[in-house]
Amino acid sequence: MAQSITFVSRRYTTRSLWSLFLMCAFPLHVWTITLVLRDVSWVAERTNVWDAIGVGAYGLLFTFIESCAVFLVFALLGLILPSKWTADKRISFLILLVMILSIWGIISQLLFLWNINLPPFLIQLLARSGRPLVGLYLISLALVVPSVILPVFQFIRSSRMEKVLLDFVDRLSPLVMTYLVLDAAGLIVVLIRNFS
Amino acid sequence: MNSRMKRRDFLKLAASLPLGYAVSRLGSELQQKPQNILIVVFDAFSAYNISTYGYERQTTPNISRLLQKAIVYHNHYAGGNFTTPGTASLLTGVLPWTHRAFQPKGEVIDAFTSQNIFSMFPEHYRIAYTHNGWANILLNQMAGHIDELIQREKLLLSAFDSVVPTLFRHDEDIASVSWARAMKTEDDGFAYSLFLSRLSEELQARTLRSLKSVYPRGIPTSGADSGFLLETAMDHLVKRLNAIPKPFMGYFHFLPPHDPYNTHRDFVDAFRSDGYKPIEKPVDLFAKRVFKQLPEKRRQYDEYILYCDREFNRLFEFLESSGVLKDTWLVLTSDHGELNERGISGHSTDAMYEPVVRIPLVIFEPGRTSRLDVHERTSAIDIVSTLASIVTQKTPSWGEGHMIPPFGAPEEMNSRNIYVVRANYNDRLAPLTVASTVLVKESYKFHYYFGYSNVPGDGLVKLFDVQADPEEMTDLAQTKKSTADELLHELRTKLSEVDEPYR
Repeated sequence: MAQSITFVSRRYTTRSLWSLFLMCAFPLHVWTITLVLRDVSWVAERTNVWDAIGVGAYGLLFTFIESCAVFLVFALLGLILPSKWTADKRISFLILLVMILSIWGIISQLLFLWNINLPPFLIQLLARSGRPLVGLYLISLALVVPSVILPVFQFIRSSRMEKVLLDFVDRLSPLVMTYLVLDAAGLIVVLIRNFS
Repeated sequence: MNSRMKRRDFLKLAASLPLGYAVSRLGSELQQKPQNILIVVFDAFSAYNISTYGYERQTTPNISRLLQKAIVYHNHYAGGNFTTPGTASLLTGVLPWTHRAFQPKGEVIDAFTSQNIFSMFPEHYRIAYTHNGWANILLNQMAGHIDELIQREKLLLSAFDSVVPTLFRHDEDIASVSWARAMKTEDDGFAYSLFLSRLSEELQARTLRSLKSVYPRGIPTSGADSGFLLETAMDHLVKRLNAIPKPFMGYFHFLPPHDPYNTHRDFVDAFRSDGYKPIEKPVDLFAKRVFKQLPEKRRQYDEYILYCDREFNRLFEFLESSGVLKDTWLVLTSDHGELNERGISGHSTDAMYEPVVRIPLVIFEPGRTSRLDVHERTSAIDIVSTLASIVTQKTPSWGEGHMIPPFGAPEEMNSRNIYVVRANYNDRLAPLTVASTVLVKESYKFHYYFGYSNVPGDGLVKLFDVQADPEEMTDLAQTKKSTADELLHELRTKLSEVDEPYR
């Protein structure tokens, strides 16, 4: 047990783990809050404002849980990064990965939200290929892989990106803390709805 | 509207006395053995779309056949036009303005947690189930009088999804809606969750992959759960009926044909090329957004009814072959109807046209060998009074319903008023100031809408002769103004009476 704690503490500091958690929570909360605000009117119209608040409160609660889950996955992933990396470097690398994945996660849903379709010529091309699904996956990979590899390559090559990412965390932390306060408010709403 | 008994009425009554005597004798003979009651509710099942009631499409081939030994009610009205008021009226025997469960996912006032259909049968083993979250709220309120309230999640497909309603039992509906918004991307393509939604959908897709081909339009669902199968629910019902003590009183409220209309593959496109053309009707004032695909919606709804029809037949065959049916009063009905016309789709509407308020009522009486068609107007609130009187010889002291023919006098039915109420924007414990109401009297159906922003100050009235004009195409409010005024006065008097405790 003591060995495990030493193993982890050599790789992370409490502050770095907290920064990682905040950066996992940030994109997930931005997305949830955007969609909750979008849903409020139809829920309120269908039932009432208190229920609309309830939908938002549960949404934030689920997002908090998701943030914890994502944080755990990335924190564990960080353990397999080179042991000679400092805690800051390790964390900023993980934050970079979280951000890239979140951006792609958001883009994949925005396509539906904004009703963006593939250009007709591409659809025809895919249809003519005989294996449209494979073609679609290949196009996705062609877009996603460089968007991961290039920043990672840049990160490994220069320490500037590490600094930029850590600055980014410092600037965003107060905002994410506000989201966590909203989570706490959401939890209170959920408790009131279930125990009143 | 003359309430005095005419000579013809007297003769009719005199002629019905021997029949009444025979019925009461039959009743007392049947009483010797404790009888079961089984109420089967299909949600949003409109009488308008049922072939037995004159719909051109053969939506209920099996039920139509079974009706040869049943009492078929042709003019039966729900208490409201969506789940909460409709179900609450059926369960309590009073109208929405009395039980006050008229808001979405509303609850009945405290009195009706112990004055309801379950409390009328204390000697029976009372069992209940519903797929519908809003109906489940009402059943939970009445749980003190139910011996076995089957958990709603028990018959849903995904155990994962059942965690949320189980965990947030007191706020099941909103928790489930939020869960669906957080985790389900399949309807909209987006969800609150960026990563877990994908993971959850993938896990679920693996479980449900085999079912996709059986339900090409999607797995039957309420929209706030992962889905369910009507077959599973029917099988569970059969299993429980075999196991539970007799006599039993069962209330089973299944969600189909409620939207989304995800029918079984056997019925997909069953009516695609049947050439049926619905009557063109003008877009209604309450059509919030005009649905352009209404004929398509209607067809899919009709095809979903075929699925209910088949499953009801399966249940019936079990009841018959197991011998349960000979001691069981089997009631088939709904909580409200469904509308796919006038620019409106579904039942989330303030409009009160026939398809959304007229529902089926069929009673399979133990020992009955011939069909009896009842054309008198009946209401969902009559079911508690009628079943309680027949089976226990007691009537609910609080009930607003009547004993319906052939168990009660038809004359009484003809002189009564039938009301349907929708007041989902109104405060629960306040006088009704925003509502849609219907008064059915003799051959007239009178609509009265008031308090809506798009309705003029005094309210909007419509009058239809539903006997001569069942499609409600010709509004007689102007041409028969005196009748409309008389009915408006009657309805307002009633409203002021029911508002009194809340002033």
